[in-house]
Amino acid sequence: MNRLPDLSPDKSPLSLVELIYGTPIKEVMSADPVTLDRKASMRRAQELMRDKGITGIPVAEDGRLYGIVSIHDLIRAMQIEKLDTTVEDLMTSKVVTLEEAMPLSMAISYFGKYSYGRFPVMNSQQLLTGIITVRDINVTLINRLMQEVTRYEAMLDNDVKPGLSITRVFHTRRHDFEHGGRASTAIKQHLVEHNLDRRLIKKVAIASYELEMNQVVHSIGGTISFKVTPESVEILVQDRGPGIENVEAALTEGFTTAADWIKSLGFGAGLGLPNAKRVSDEFFIHSQIGVGTTVKAIIYLKSKETER
Amino acid sequence: MTLSELIEPVQAEILINSPDFSQRRVNCVVASDLMSDVLVAAHDDFLLVTSLASDQMIRTADLVGAAAVLVVNGKRLPDSAMQMAGKLGITLLRTSLPKYEACVAIGHAAKEQP
Repeated sequence: MNRLPDLSPDKSPLSLVELIYGTPIKEVMSADPVTLDRKASMRRAQELMRDKGITGIPVAEDGRLYGIVSIHDLIRAMQIEKLDTTVEDLMTSKVVTLEEAMPLSMAISYFGKYSYGRFPVMNSQQLLTGIITVRDINVTLINRLMQEVTRYEAMLDNDVKPGLSITRVFHTRRHDFEHGGRASTAIKQHLVEHNLDRRLIKKVAIASYELEMNQVVHSIGGTISFKVTPESVEILVQDRGPGIENVEAALTEGFTTAADWIKSLGFGAGLGLPNAKRVSDEFFIHSQIGVGTTVKAIIYLKSKETER
Repeated sequence: MTLSELIEPVQAEILINSPDFSQRRVNCVVASDLMSDVLVAAHDDFLLVTSLASDQMIRTADLVGAAAVLVVNGKRLPDSAMQMAGKLGITLLRTSLPKYEACVAIGHAAKEQP
């Protein structure tokens, strides 16, 4: 069997990292799945699987999940000739589920970890809203891959300044002030070497540095990636937790949770995120406690408004 | 004023000398010990006056295009900060004056400029 490649952020191309870590399961799953009531018969499960061409059906009532009937359960029912038994009796009741807001990377790792062919997907109220299979993931990946390749091919036709376009990924570690800022310095130097407008370079440097140092100060570590094209610089920072409790507050100037010793180093004044947002043309932040924080900041290189 | 004209009013020691030292002009002064404040400073070619003697302050200064860093209170700089300034081509100065006095002295000197 083919082995899954190492999809850790430092070993994969940026667009792939962005796709699998930045896409929530909600966008990949099949919504409103076919379900069975607890009292339905195994024969009904068999009919549904045949008619709908599926291999597993969640047993759920009003969104509450009780179990799942897989094709294996069905084969077993046929072997012991119990097709008229209720699904409740023969279903798999210990079900591993995923949540809508989790990144696609989580689903991929679950398929590697468990031998199940599908996972029910729950919303934040723990109600069943979808189901995800390897097929759903394949379809999503192929579609996105087509978009990306189309985009790259279109880019090849433009007259690109040689060497400007790059993709780079750096790592940060918790409280590693010695190396923190390395990524920002490197990207700034790259832009300087390509004679970009000084004001644009400054915007990139500020956004990058604030986001990078945020990871060093607040997170348990993560990655900072840059995608430079003639059109824009895209900065993607992703950490592994602990996540921001109140994103809105974190975007307010002066709000800080930094410890005093960090403040004594000149950081943690509560200006980082607002500062990064201010200089960015597009700014997106998503955070989940226990999972981590993702920030995407884009600075246009071809925008007409380049003041500041 | 140029960087070299700054030396006398604050009796600065030159710790690291950037290649364009004698001609490099300073258009304004930013005095702060907060990285984010320095990053907000919208000017180019400014002099950063700070009492934070760290690698990160040098890095911050470089990222926003500061012309030079003046460390006040005669603070000792870690070797790594000196090396970084050398590598990034940032002029690094040190004065024994406190921050406020250093700023006042620079202000007076700037006024006397033709």
